[in-house]
Parts: sequence; C-alpha cells; structure tokens
Amino acid sequence: MHMEYANFPYLSAILMSCVVGLLVIVFIPEERKTLIRRVSAAFSGLTLVLAVYLFFAYDKSLGGLQFVEKVVWIPSLGVQYFNAADGFNLPNLLLTGIVFFTGVLTMWEMETRVKEFYALYFLLVTGVFGLFMSMDLFFIFVWYDVSLFPMYLLIAVWGTTRKEYGAMKLTLYLLAGSALILPAIIYLYTMSGLHTFDIVSLMRAGTFTAEEQEFAFILLFLGFGILAGVWPFHTWSPVGHVAAPHAVSMVHAGVLMKIGAFGVLRVAIMVCPQGWQYWAQLMALLASVGIVYGALVGLRQTDLKYVIGYSSVSHMGVVGLGLSTVTAEGLNGAVFQMFAHGVMTALLFSSVGYIYDRAHTKSIPELGGLSRIMPVASAYFIVAALASMGLPGLANFWGELAVFIAAFRVYPVGGVAAVLALVVTALFMLRVVQRTFYGPRNERYAELSDISFRQGIPRMILVAVLVLLGLYPALLFDMIQTASIPFMSGLPR
Amino acid sequence: MKWIIAIPELYTFSAALWFLMLSLVVRPDPRREHITSLLLSALGVVVCLVSVGSTGYLFVKAYRVDFFSQIFKIMLAFGLFLITCLCGEMKDLRERNRHDFYFLLFACTLAMMLLVSADHILAVYLSLELSSYSLYILVALRRDQDFGLEAGIKYFLVGTFASAIMLFGLAVLYATTRTTYLSEAARVLPAMINQPAVILGLLLTLGGFFFKLAIFPFHFWAPDTYQGAMNQVAAYIATASKVAAIAVILRVVALAGQGSAYLVHALGVLSIVSMTLGNLAAIAQKDLKRLLAFSTVAHSGYVLIGILAMNPAGYASAIFYALALLVMKLTMFLVVVKVAFEGRNVQIKELAGLHRRCPLLALALMVSLFSLAGIPPTIGFTGKFLVFVAAMEKGYFTLVLIAMINVVISLYYYLLVIKAAYLLEPEKELPMLYLSPSMKFLTGVLVAVIVGAGLYPRYLLYISETAARALLQG
Repeated sequence: MHMEYANFPYLSAILMSCVVGLLVIVFIPEERKTLIRRVSAAFSGLTLVLAVYLFFAYDKSLGGLQFVEKVVWIPSLGVQYFNAADGFNLPNLLLTGIVFFTGVLTMWEMETRVKEFYALYFLLVTGVFGLFMSMDLFFIFVWYDVSLFPMYLLIAVWGTTRKEYGAMKLTLYLLAGSALILPAIIYLYTMSGLHTFDIVSLMRAGTFTAEEQEFAFILLFLGFGILAGVWPFHTWSPVGHVAAPHAVSMVHAGVLMKIGAFGVLRVAIMVCPQGWQYWAQLMALLASVGIVYGALVGLRQTDLKYVIGYSSVSHMGVVGLGLSTVTAEGLNGAVFQMFAHGVMTALLFSSVGYIYDRAHTKSIPELGGLSRIMPVASAYFIVAALASMGLPGLANFWGELAVFIAAFRVYPVGGVAAVLALVVTALFMLRVVQRTFYGPRNERYAELSDISFRQGIPRMILVAVLVLLGLYPALLFDMIQTASIPFMSGLPR
Repeated sequence: MKWIIAIPELYTFSAALWFLMLSLVVRPDPRREHITSLLLSALGVVVCLVSVGSTGYLFVKAYRVDFFSQIFKIMLAFGLFLITCLCGEMKDLRERNRHDFYFLLFACTLAMMLLVSADHILAVYLSLELSSYSLYILVALRRDQDFGLEAGIKYFLVGTFASAIMLFGLAVLYATTRTTYLSEAARVLPAMINQPAVILGLLLTLGGFFFKLAIFPFHFWAPDTYQGAMNQVAAYIATASKVAAIAVILRVVALAGQGSAYLVHALGVLSIVSMTLGNLAAIAQKDLKRLLAFSTVAHSGYVLIGILAMNPAGYASAIFYALALLVMKLTMFLVVVKVAFEGRNVQIKELAGLHRRCPLLALALMVSLFSLAGIPPTIGFTGKFLVFVAAMEKGYFTLVLIAMINVVISLYYYLLVIKAAYLLEPEKELPMLYLSPSMKFLTGVLVAVIVGAGLYPRYLLYISETAARALLQG
C-alpha cells in the first residue's frame, strides 16, 4: 500500500479521536452519564487542541497543501484517502473544533438518553471534520452523508418545537442536495478520463471543457447550496434549527451550513472555475435575495431560535455573495465570514439553550427583562447579537466588510441591497435584545438562577474567539490568503 | 474426476437428500433439526469457498463452472447458512413439516446453484423451475392457512405465467441463433442484436428472470407473498432468490455484447418504473414485510441500471450489488424474525420502543435501513455508487439522476421505520428482547460487514470485477 506522510498524520488524528471517542462512548454503560460526558469532553477537547495546533503549525510563507496524507483506498476506482490542510480548510477545522467542544459543554445538563446523544453527536462531527480535510471527491461525498444522517435522530429524539417535522424536512432537503452532488461528482469523474477523484488532479487547467464545467458547477452549487441555506432552498434551515437540541443547533448552524459553503468552494469553484465565472451572477442574485429575505423574515419572528435561524440565512447569504464575486477579496471575506458566523451562531444558540432550559420558552413576548434576572447569561446573548449586527471590534465585522468591499466593485446593486439588509438585521437583532432582555421583567421567571462560572465556560470561549478576531483579524485573513491568492492567480481569465 | 468441479452442488444435493430421508424415517425434533441444518449449511459455505477456483464444463458443456458462478454459489451458500441461523424458532410451521421445510430450502439452494452455472437453455429452464417449485411450497407451508396458501397460489400463478413467457422467449432465441447454448449464442448474437426478433426473444427470456427479481411488470406477487410467507421464507426469497436472479440475468444480458439502443431503452424504462413504483408504493405500507417487498422492487430497478450499462464495470457493480442486497436484507430480516411475536408479521408501529427493548437490534435495523437507502459509509452506498459510475461511463446521466431522486424518496419511508424504532413508545409496555450470545455475535458481524464493506470495499470490489471478467470470457 502506497503511503505518503509528511510527518505525524495530524489530520487523521483528529478523525481518529472522533471515532475512538465514539467507540469508547458506545461501550460505556448507559447509566454512567457523568463518565460519558467527561469522555466526550476529553475527546472533543483533543480534537480542538489538534485543530489549534494545525492552525498555528501551518507554514503560511510556504502556502499550498500541507500535512498531506495519501493512501490508495480503492485502486480500481481511483479512490484515495487524501487529506490535506490549506488556507481554506484550516479556519473551518478550527471552527469545528471550537463548536464541537463548546457544544459538548453546553449539553452537560441534558439527561435523556445521554449515551446515544453523544454517540450520534460524535458521528456527526466525524463527518464534518472529514469533509473539511478531504481532497478526494469520493470521500467528500461520503463525509457529507455521514454528517447528515445522525441529524434525523438527533433532532427527532432530543429536539423541541415540531421536532419530527423539522427532522424529516431537514433530512430530505439535504439528501435532495446529495442527489445533485453525487451525479455531478460521477459526471466529473467519468468526463475527466483520469480515473481519479483527486481534487488536485481534477483542478488542473484543461481537464474539463467550459461546457462540462458549467454543467457540473450548477449541480454542485445547488446541491451544496441547499446545505448552505441558499435562498430559495433555505426553508429547511430555520425549521431545523428551531427543532434541534442546542448543541445540535450549534453544530448545525455553526458548522454544518459551512460544509455547504465549503463544498461550493472546494468542489464546485475549485474544480469547475469556468463554471463559477459563468454562473457567478446567478450566485450573486440568490445570495443577495437571501440576505434581504432572511433579514426581513427574521424581523417578523417571535421565537428566539427562529430569529437566529433566519439571521443565519441572511448571514450565509453574505458568504454566498463573497463567493460570487470571483475575486480573492471576496473569497477571503467569505471564508472569514464562515468562521465568524459559525462562532457567533454557536454562541447565540448556546445562550438561548441556557435560557430555554431554565424558562422553558423561547418566545420573545413571554420573556422580557431577563437581564435583571440573569445578567451574565443575557450578556452572552447580547455579545453574540452585537456580533451578528456587524459591530466593529467583533469578528463578523471584518468578514462582512471584506465581502461588501469586494461586492461593491463587482455588483454595485447587490452590494447596496446587502448593506441595506444588514441595517435590517441590526434592527431586528436590537429589537430582540430589547424585548427579551430589557423592559419590565417577567415575575414568572424571577426565581431563575443565573449562569454559573462553570456553565459559562463554553460561552466564554466563543466570546473570546469573537473578540480576538475582531481585534486582530489578520490572524485569519493571512491564513486564508495563502489559499485564495494563488488560486485566483492561477485562473484563466 | 471431472465431477469434482461440481462439489458444491453434489454436497447441497446430498444435504437435501438427508432431510428427505429423515422425513421418511424419524419424527421431527426442532432442536436437532436446527443444529443439523446449521452444521450442514455452514459446511456448505466451506465447500463452496474451497471450490472457488474450479473451472470447467460438465454434461456436454451444458453446465459451466467458472469464477462467476462460484462466487454466486458462495453467496447462495452463505445466504442459506444465515437463513438457517434464523430458523431456531418457527412457531408458524407445523411440527410435521419441519423436515420438508429444510429439504425444500436445501433443494431450492441447489436449484439456484445449478441456475448460476447453467449454460444450456434447457438447464436454465429446469433449474429455474426447480427453485420456483420449492419456493411455491415453502411459501404455502405457513400454519396460518389462508394467508400462506393465498400467497403460495399467487406466487405460483404469476410464476408459471412468467415461465411460459420465458419459454416463448427461449424459443424465439433458438429460432434466431440456431443454438441452445448460451455461450454459443454469445458468439452469434452481437452481430444480429438489432434484429427485432432477437430483442423480443431476449426481453421475453429476461421476463422469466424479472419475475424472480421482482421487476415491473412482474412484481405483483412480491408484496402478498412476502406478507403471506413465513418470515424466514420471505427472507430467503428476498436474498438468495434475488442473488440467483441477478446472476442469471447477467448471463443472459452478457450475450448481447455491446447491446443495442432498443434493449437499453427497454431495460431503462423497466428500471425507472420499478424504482419509482417500488418506492412510492412502499411509502403507504404498514406491514414491514410488505414495505421490504416494495423496497426490493426498487432495488431491482437500481441493479438493472448496472446491468443495462453492459460494460464490465456495470456487470461488476451488479455482482457487488447482489452481495450488498444479500447482507443488508438479511440483517433487516434478522430484525424482523427476532421482533416478530411467535412468528407473526411485524407491523411498523410494533417496532416502537425497540431501542430500549434491544439496542443491538435497533442499531442493526438502523444500519441496514441506511444501507438500503444508500447512505455512506455502508455496503448499500458502495453498490449504488458503482452502479452509477458504470451507467455514467455510458453517458446515462438522466438515469443516474432519476435513481438519486428515488434514493431521496426511499429515505422518507426508511426514516419512518427508524422513527418507529427510536422515537415512538409502545402503547403497552413490552418485555425486553433478549438475544442469545451467538445471535448477538451474528448481528454484530452483519452490522460490521455492512459498515466495513462500505468503508473499505477494495477487496470485495476486486472479487466482483474478477467475476465480471469471468462472465465475459465466452
């Protein structure tokens, strides 16, 4: 068997700590709930440590693919187990590590069917990590589905509002996405004649004609776009977010939707760049509509989680707009926004989770004046809401700024619409904050306890990341540029 | 010594005879019979494995032993072994029929082994009939008189109808090719493949096998027969019988060489209708076995895509798919047999609370359902993937897209079953389900095989490709 290891296989180590964690959990007796939680925290913490290490160990001056692992998997099909890290996937791996770990901590107090929950949760994250690090189309598809199918049970068993409907809708929508992705991947495989699923080989100029790229691109864009919440295929996402348990909402809005955007970037854009250029205007249109639509619909919601769900549609529209500019700046902004939105949404869902577990409602009119009852818990939500408005000093500001600068140059109209929509987002987020946390306090909830220091740890981590990147965005931008600039300069004009 | 290449068949024949003798001599003893059948079928797997490399001809070349046929014989023996594992308790079988049951099971397996090696149209016909007749009786053996008999008669009527059509097709083929040997026909057919009579003959012949595979329009027996037959017999029909049908369809389709547009179109339409109809009809089912029957119809549609690609990759994918069907359907029926109360049928809503009553069975159910739906990393996904790659090489993009849409539809009803097992709570508290250690082991192995072969299909794929090459060597 042919193997190629640069050094210790860090990327596989991340996957293995998920898989080993999963197996360990499976073999712990159901009753030992605390042990299960500790094991989950340990293994998810390990993945976070590895992801942080990779992020800083990556040699930015060198760029390109690093930490490459290549094993021939199915020779007769040309499938390789091919993992690598570059400027596009490292931020996402880090994001996954952060959300994974904080998600485990957020669910610490959950008591129903703990073992099954963590087992499925680990399976879900295994797929997410695998997809981000894989450079082989076959494996990308496998990981895509691995990250989807635990969702059904996670939502249907541990979810809340209209959970069965939400779970079924989400699963079928996302599977419909894969119904477009798989034919497109096989189409590329057979058309290339190279007998490989290796993205690096398929990326070489001249592998596909312009028509082939245009055809495959639109399938891949729509397929992955469903998962990224691209308007008008976003309707599964607010419903799914609302129905899911908190940690799953966190992973889902924080990471899973990024898988969709990342799939568009890694597979559709990188393998079919001419298709990208051809369809860019459609992408921009859908993204702009999504930004505006998500913001407007969010304005009308009374359920906290629905508000976040629709704001996600709007924010993922920003990612889409960045991708549609066909510029390095747009790509930088898009990847930055993926990261920032992931952390921000995770914080939002994590905070709502705390409130819901205590107050047993997510309805905005019923809450009110919460900041007097639980000031710390409210503060976490408010920080996230401010980030979501794009307040300077928090991470999201930079992502949106970069995207809008790029978009203004290429699509003046769409850019203006997007900025206006952002004002609406700010408006509705402020309204939510005002009605939920300020105003007269609801005596029904006066007895509720505030978040303790230990319970606050996952939220603190997320806030710290938001602030750090808000003050020092170059940390991420420098990383993304190592991938985006070489890629754009290699494109045929 | 040339008989040595037919060892698997001779062995299965003597095992069947053994049970026939027993039925004449002694009174049935369930436990003894179960253990005997387990030993005999396990040894059968070993015999088939040992003779995997043998090649040659028997009976004036009417009987052809090659790697292709040997692989399918292993699958059949393996399927028989797993079915006998499930036959520990058969409450809905009359005590006095126990010997007959095993006799027919082994006889049917023997017939299918003969079928996959048959190279003469008469041999094909005879072995097909032998397997069908054994199955007709097996279906009717259920103690619940009306149900079983109705199913048996329905199966019989559709079956004889299909046989008649196939005989007509074989006659037409003979008239056009002037030969009764399949390998001989393979030499002359490609040149005359565009003649209407040849296509008609091929399609009619295939009709007989489509009956076995439950492809539209020969699928009408499937839901009633699955529902009416004993769970174990339904499992046998859903697995071993399908595997044999795929083998013989491959033999016949491989005759056509590169194929003709007409044949591809006809098979493509049948495939699309089978998948769509099977999946849509399955949504409405409440009985788990009826649901599985319709899902089998859909799966036959998927297999047909690989077959109609008519390239080595397509044949290899169909062989792989046969294996996948065998493993995942058996896992599924293992759950059915274990959950069924006193051998009755299982309604989907009766699965409620299974995740508490027996977590392992619930897990097996979930894994096999995801595999049936074609979600990676499972053997079912790899099978579908191979099928789609083969079809795409021929440029059948639309067919692949339709199949993928069908996958999404099918996921809907598979999820409903999973939901029943993991989410719903039973109306009245049901006792825990305990599996014997050996049954636990078997379940674990099956789940591991489904996931393992999905993660790392390299060697199974290699075997399928080698078998496909053997098939194409005239």
